[in-house]
Amino acid sequence: MHVYILRRLVLMVPVLFGLTVIVFLIMSLIPGDPALAILGSYATPENVAKLRADLGLDKSLISQYWIWLTHMLHGDFGRSYSLNRPVLDEILERFGATLILAGTSLVLCTILGLLTGVVSAVRQYGWADKTLTFVVLIGISVPSFWLGLMMMLLFAVNLRWLPVSGMYAIYGGGDLPDLLRHLVMPSITLAVVATGVIARLTRSNMLEVLRQDYIRTARAKGLDERRVIYRHAFKAALVNVIPVIGVQAGFVLGGAVYIETVFQWPGIGRMLVTAIATRDILLVQGGVVIVAASYVLFNLFADVLQHLIDPRVKA
Amino acid sequence: MKSLFKGALIAAALTVSAFSAGQAEAQTPPGVLLVGQIAEPKSLDPAADTAVNDFRILVNMYDGLVRYKDGTLEVEPDLATSWTISDDGKVYTFKLRDGVTFHDGTPFNAEAVKYNFDRMLDEKHPEHDTGPFPLAFFFSTVDKIDVLDDLTVKFTLKEPYAPFLSNLAYPTGLIVSPAAVQKYGKDFGRHPVGTGPFKFEEWDSNAKVVVSRNDDYWDGAPKLDAVVFRPITDANTRVAELMAGGIDLMVEVPPDSLTNLAGDDNFQVYQQAGPHLWFLILNMKEGPFKDKRVRQAVNYAINKKALVDNVLQGTAEVAAGPTPPAFAWAYDKSLDPYPYDVEKAKQLIRDAGATGKEVTFYVTEGGSGMLDPIPMGAAIQADLAKVGLKVKIETYEWNTFLGKVNPGLAGKADMAEMAWMTNDPDTLPYLALRTDAWPDKGGFNSGYYSNPKVDELLEKARTSTDQNERAKLYREMQQIVHDDAPWAFIANWKQNAVSSSAVKGFKLQPSFFLLLKDVSKD
Amino acid sequence: MSNPAATAKMAAKPRKSSARPSAFKLLARNHLALLGAVILAGVIIVALITPWLPLTDPDATDPANRLLRPLTDGHFLGTDHLGRDLLSRLLWGTRVSLAVGISASLFAAVFGSAIGIISGYFGGRTDNVLMRGIDMVMAFPYILLALAIVAALGPGLMNALYAIAVVNIPFFARNIRGVTVGIAHREFVDAARLSGKGHIRILLSEILPNVMPVIVITMSTTVGWMILETAGLSFLGLGAQPPQADLGSMLGEGRKLITTALHLSAIPGGMIFLLVMSINLLGDGIRDVLDPRLKSGALARPAPVTRIDRSKTMTNGNVTDANPNINSGRDPILSVEDLRTEFVLGDDVYKAVGGVSFSVGRNECVGLVGESGSGKSVTALSLLGLVASPPGTIVGGRVMLEGRDVFDMRESEIRAIRGGRAAYVFQDPLSTLHPLFSVGDQLVEAIRAHNRVSYKDAWAKAVSLLRMVRIPNPEQRADSYPHQLSGGMRQRVGIAMALANEPELIIADEPTTALDVTVQAQILKLMNNLRTEHGTSVLFITHDFGVVSEICDRVAVMYAGQIVEMGTTQQVLQQPAHPYTKRLIDCVPRLGEAKRDVAAIPGLPPAVNNLPAGCAFAERCDRADDTCRAGAVALDDLGAGHAVRCLKPMGGEDA
Repeated sequence: MHVYILRRLVLMVPVLFGLTVIVFLIMSLIPGDPALAILGSYATPENVAKLRADLGLDKSLISQYWIWLTHMLHGDFGRSYSLNRPVLDEILERFGATLILAGTSLVLCTILGLLTGVVSAVRQYGWADKTLTFVVLIGISVPSFWLGLMMMLLFAVNLRWLPVSGMYAIYGGGDLPDLLRHLVMPSITLAVVATGVIARLTRSNMLEVLRQDYIRTARAKGLDERRVIYRHAFKAALVNVIPVIGVQAGFVLGGAVYIETVFQWPGIGRMLVTAIATRDILLVQGGVVIVAASYVLFNLFADVLQHLIDPRVKA
Repeated sequence: MKSLFKGALIAAALTVSAFSAGQAEAQTPPGVLLVGQIAEPKSLDPAADTAVNDFRILVNMYDGLVRYKDGTLEVEPDLATSWTISDDGKVYTFKLRDGVTFHDGTPFNAEAVKYNFDRMLDEKHPEHDTGPFPLAFFFSTVDKIDVLDDLTVKFTLKEPYAPFLSNLAYPTGLIVSPAAVQKYGKDFGRHPVGTGPFKFEEWDSNAKVVVSRNDDYWDGAPKLDAVVFRPITDANTRVAELMAGGIDLMVEVPPDSLTNLAGDDNFQVYQQAGPHLWFLILNMKEGPFKDKRVRQAVNYAINKKALVDNVLQGTAEVAAGPTPPAFAWAYDKSLDPYPYDVEKAKQLIRDAGATGKEVTFYVTEGGSGMLDPIPMGAAIQADLAKVGLKVKIETYEWNTFLGKVNPGLAGKADMAEMAWMTNDPDTLPYLALRTDAWPDKGGFNSGYYSNPKVDELLEKARTSTDQNERAKLYREMQQIVHDDAPWAFIANWKQNAVSSSAVKGFKLQPSFFLLLKDVSKD
Repeated sequence: MSNPAATAKMAAKPRKSSARPSAFKLLARNHLALLGAVILAGVIIVALITPWLPLTDPDATDPANRLLRPLTDGHFLGTDHLGRDLLSRLLWGTRVSLAVGISASLFAAVFGSAIGIISGYFGGRTDNVLMRGIDMVMAFPYILLALAIVAALGPGLMNALYAIAVVNIPFFARNIRGVTVGIAHREFVDAARLSGKGHIRILLSEILPNVMPVIVITMSTTVGWMILETAGLSFLGLGAQPPQADLGSMLGEGRKLITTALHLSAIPGGMIFLLVMSINLLGDGIRDVLDPRLKSGALARPAPVTRIDRSKTMTNGNVTDANPNINSGRDPILSVEDLRTEFVLGDDVYKAVGGVSFSVGRNECVGLVGESGSGKSVTALSLLGLVASPPGTIVGGRVMLEGRDVFDMRESEIRAIRGGRAAYVFQDPLSTLHPLFSVGDQLVEAIRAHNRVSYKDAWAKAVSLLRMVRIPNPEQRADSYPHQLSGGMRQRVGIAMALANEPELIIADEPTTALDVTVQAQILKLMNNLRTEHGTSVLFITHDFGVVSEICDRVAVMYAGQIVEMGTTQQVLQQPAHPYTKRLIDCVPRLGEAKRDVAAIPGLPPAVNNLPAGCAFAERCDRADDTCRAGAVALDDLGAGHAVRCLKPMGGEDA
């Protein structure tokens, strides 16, 4: 297992390296540059040229990349043009916020998705199944940002149960209950689609597993139905659902962009959107690396988990 | 299963009740004003900032040598109590205010002033590396700065430059504490120290910037205990926060929400016209707009009144010419906007033989001062269709848009949206209407307008230090440009703000700065 | 050889088409999918005829009439912030969104599938390089990839389309690659390769048709997602360019007025919902139809106990056996009377077990023999209600276990018998043992299901059980997972599990079929020993008379859901009365002969959903005449416990 994890971690390096090259290429393909973005209306060619020199953008693309790479290998991700602070500081701060949001959403969608899927499968064609199937269908058919806005209007503006936006209250906040209050709407909104996907998958996998011979064996042993479903069937279904949860992590991280925008969550998704708009290449670079790394790591985690559950998969 | 399900339901119910019992937001203390900003500030170093959004914070923490007089765009003393200008317009000597200290306790004096400008302009200055200073070119005519005595400082310019004083009143000219810059270096932008009415408390990235009252402020301590600036990038969310009480004051309210909030007693709406112009650049180098008649026809054909009333919901006024009325002293009041006249436009286009011509129109998604560029573009497109011009819209994200428009429209497009906010009537025409400002010569004249008379007037106005003389020159320029119609003049934006009714004493400024010294909150 | 007349007759008989209804019928039967299809078709039709509808120009602005509410005169759905007619924009917008969603899916499907097929087919380095590339695209946060693409190409519907399509390529590539790997080395592909076909031809003619269903399934699930995602890009201001309307940009524009004019966003939002939902519903339906795993048409969850509905029994016109209890005279521990089990699939009723009666005495071993499909396994499973239900139903008969009818018991009572007094040993222990639990754990479970003992004690018992079935090193083996054991070992575990609670009856369903001959012999020996040591009764299901001769006291031969001959092993083996029995016996390999297969019996057993009126074996029987086909044949007692269901039983002259 250790060797496997190590090998996967080593394999991660070329993927991340390739990503940074792609990011650099794409960013250089995008018209406009940070100097232009900073100067805005005052971007005379003369001013732009001077600022470019100040920012080191007058060097060739390859040498810019080389400088970035060598610095990064020393733990220096550079300084953001648009935020005027070290990229690493900003990224870590933002990533922490995203991790809280996406992490909560992932936990939510996993629990709710599995629960819904299992209930749906066990009560197949019953009212619970029909209701849940319908709710899940709505969940995956509604744009999440739209759902977020609606929730905000209802719960924050009209009912005033929950705060509108942000991560902590401006005054008297900062503790865990405060964070949780701010988390409710964004995390639910973000979890909706993934919950739907996981629920559907769990349901069909449960149904499939329940037809397997080993379930018949379990019944032939005289096990009660609860044990058959939750121990035997669920574990087997889980093996197929876990990789999808890994993939959903990517969607949750991606969807966080919308949700962070709607709820002003100070996360890395929104930061990256702004960074792309301001052509803040170093910030984009650093942000993509950390998001991609976390995605890859999460998938590794999912794979390891799958190996732990499923002894047949060779580690 | 059932029990599990039930358990989950109960847990959910408990959570919700716990949250609602705790009430959404702890109440803000009365003396604290929460301001909704449109974005996270880039830096709190005035020399490094370019965005109006950041200026709104800066002007409350720093003072400049001069500032704009309340409600106008004319300069008045600030940290400088008086000044003299040499007859050739090249030497400015400032007398500084006595007894002013920075928030870190270091004294404000002539050395500090010199330090500030040297840092921006002198590449050999030890703290020049705390930049880059993108707007340093405002002071690029400064040749040298001399400290005459502790409270007297002399600026020598390379050539006469009339906008110099008004540039000093711009946030780029705000004075920072040299000691703090030396202490924090590149991170000064996150540890700002000035002399202003509020001093910096904390900057919690992407959540808030807090400033508190400077009890020792030379111009009288402000009424508020503290101000919290919250960056909320999404306009809808900003409005929702205002309605939910999460902020007390916000600017740049979407027009439709403004109409809504105006009818609500809990809120107060503020409006103020500013030095802003929203216009269309017309490509005079090629295509139908080479012909003055077609350019004028466009000005006639666009229903500007309908645009400002319906699309912009009354948040702007119809523009008459290249100079916004906010520059009251330089504005030509006799100038009338082109009237909406479809028949005349059709006639002009027919005369020019341009009926049915297809034109490409660059539209941006949004950008500083661009108001509602997409609906505006769509409405203009519809208006021009009525007079026989087929308009093809191409929309670009702001930076891409600038990257396409600033190098000139030749070979790409026939017209483009554009908006400028300036601090001096000189800036826009000087940078965007002179022959020497064509893109290949380093200016913003992307439509290739060229009129020797206009060039001459602008050159003269820039070197004259007599405001009346300058005003005369600018008015003459406005008449000519109005008639030549190198642009379609559309709107002058009225900046808006909304506050809760608890906020008292707030006023918007033509400069678009957000001065909070005299504001109080019940 | 087979009777040519019979064969001809069989061929002439209109064969009921496959067991499965047609794809279209299946889809139509799924009400939700049908609803989705109807809604989607409606939307598509409206979108197609939009240009000919009497609508106002969707781009005509009328600022004076902005933000009119729905149901205003002349504007059925009201107007937007520029006074444009919302209905007109909605319909034109739907047109655009549909086109974008579908073409983006097609685009992603074509490129993604191409990558997947090439990667899966060629494997090796090509696979590695392509998949690392795909990994990279997947690790890139998808929305940012789309953003970056749009930023690089400029906003606009086409560019948004490319962006979203590119983002989706990995899903197709991965899915299709997986399937391709699965078939790239199958016989037909190898055959094509050997026949000298080029790679491209093989890819197009052999691989592509086989992965097509997966492509269609993936597409049906992505179209809706694509429409949502274009809406998302429009939300960020990167979608359709004005004045063109697509649902996403309408929603994005409406969002800005959410507090003032809710209808502006609610209407396109509703349309997106309707569209995506209908696509999802239809997509689910398509998946159910095309997915080979779901081919039975009923991906239904089997109930813990087979459905029992004996109300129809009396109206059933079939002949019941005159003498149900032909037995050795020993005290019967199990007695089955006229057991009938049916499967309902679509419109067809399969009478898998059509009235079976037999009994098993104490410490007796009874063999139930027949070809696959004869109903012997279903009979075995029916005894304790283990037939998957749906689709199975027990429609008649009784199963008496120590004097009580199992079918009258409550679920908990049946559960107490399962693995307790009566235990099963199944065929193919690789699929019948749970792959994710260690064998020790599965044994412990069996023990603890019937005894209140601690885990530790149960584990000790499990180890001793493993020792009892002669598994070497039982302490270590208990920690092994099924896949780590050999076939023979696994079957020993299966037997150990059956023995866990010292059952009185073991129902062994082809326990030796999947094993090779030497292992088979070991297992049989083991079972025989256990039977003699513990005094257990055994019902032994097999298709192999060779096995029967080694272990069984008595034999019942099944054909087409009925017992056609029954007697002691000796009687049946030495004087088979039924022609079918004789054929089965002939299939047993003898020393020095090549192994003969059951398939050596010419012809096929009749489909149990379409049984003939007379003897079911008549079509394959060279002794059959018209009387055989006239009507049901009763089980005829030959004396001494020997019975046969044949009008022309074979006498000594044939033996």
